[in-house]
Amino acid sequence: MKKILVLLLLAVVGFYLAGTFFDIGFGNSHFVKNDAIKPVKDIYLQQTVQELKVSNAVTSIVVNFRGFDTLGEVTVLFLSVTALGSILYKKRHHVGERSVLFSASSIVTSGSKLLFPAIVLLGAYVFIHGHLSPGGGFQGGVIIATGFLLMLLAYENYSVSHNGLSIVESLAGITFVGVGLLGFMNGGTFLQNFLPTGELNNLFSGGIIPIIYIAVGFKVAAELTGVIYTVLNEKGEQNG
Amino acid sequence: MSIMEIIGGILIIIGSIFLFLGALGIYRMPDIYNRLQAGTKATTLGAMSLILGVGFLEPSWILKSLVLIIFIAFSNPISSHALARATYRRGHYPLILSDDKENMDAYQEVVPHEKEKEEKV
Repeated sequence: MKKILVLLLLAVVGFYLAGTFFDIGFGNSHFVKNDAIKPVKDIYLQQTVQELKVSNAVTSIVVNFRGFDTLGEVTVLFLSVTALGSILYKKRHHVGERSVLFSASSIVTSGSKLLFPAIVLLGAYVFIHGHLSPGGGFQGGVIIATGFLLMLLAYENYSVSHNGLSIVESLAGITFVGVGLLGFMNGGTFLQNFLPTGELNNLFSGGIIPIIYIAVGFKVAAELTGVIYTVLNEKGEQNG
Repeated sequence: MSIMEIIGGILIIIGSIFLFLGALGIYRMPDIYNRLQAGTKATTLGAMSLILGVGFLEPSWILKSLVLIIFIAFSNPISSHALARATYRRGHYPLILSDDKENMDAYQEVVPHEKEKEEKV
């Protein structure tokens, strides 16, 4: 009985989904069959280059046109990190009792000392140039967090200050919301651009996009480093 | 066609050949250590040569490509070293076809095999 119900539901969903796809037709980008109406895609692409002076269309949509949505994503990440921290909280302060079976060799330890600044530099490059090239705050933050992961795996006693992480995270979040609220002061809406947009393909261009992406980069890096640190410091079962 | 473009093209072809040989080695070699050494050495040289070739083709990118080459020269051997060491510690030992097994696996003196560890305990 249950299986028949599931099959029925799938059939109904599939019927309407297929109908929608046949309505659009292969290669068409919009529902409207009248060519006089401009699809949303063209408006986004036009505004990205002409008004915002940003060469990365994805960034302009994520941070500017749908900035409120990005704020929600950052909040989701923050909530999941908080939940993980609260679950693993009691086992957090056992430094040196990681779930690592043996320490890394001297090649890895000295090599990671050399590579760590390069990885952090790459991450910073990715989120500072978010409005010019592929990448952005989330990607750059993850790259920086992998640098911390390398250090934590290489050195048994490498520790990250939890207070420092939460300060960086809070400051970045406040920057994001503060920039959004500053949009009100110039008579606009939340997260509206109020800075001069500059010239296309310039580092100092795009209005508030670089500021928000730098804040997001710091926030994601701090949050993911906190996750890695918490998980690594959980006492593994194989250690007893 | 300038001389820079010819040098860059030759370097890219050399890099592609080495990358292909590395992929073939990973497919063809019998155990994990042979695969790692085929993969690491061939892809390190292949990627370095390919990136240098791109730097020759676009002279404004040469500094960035040199930085990338240094990064690959550090990260690739270190990561494969860590992989091989972790594999040995987990108890996967090299495939040795010769009869003289004790002398072939010199790392055994530093990290004894799992079975011998149990005997000692």
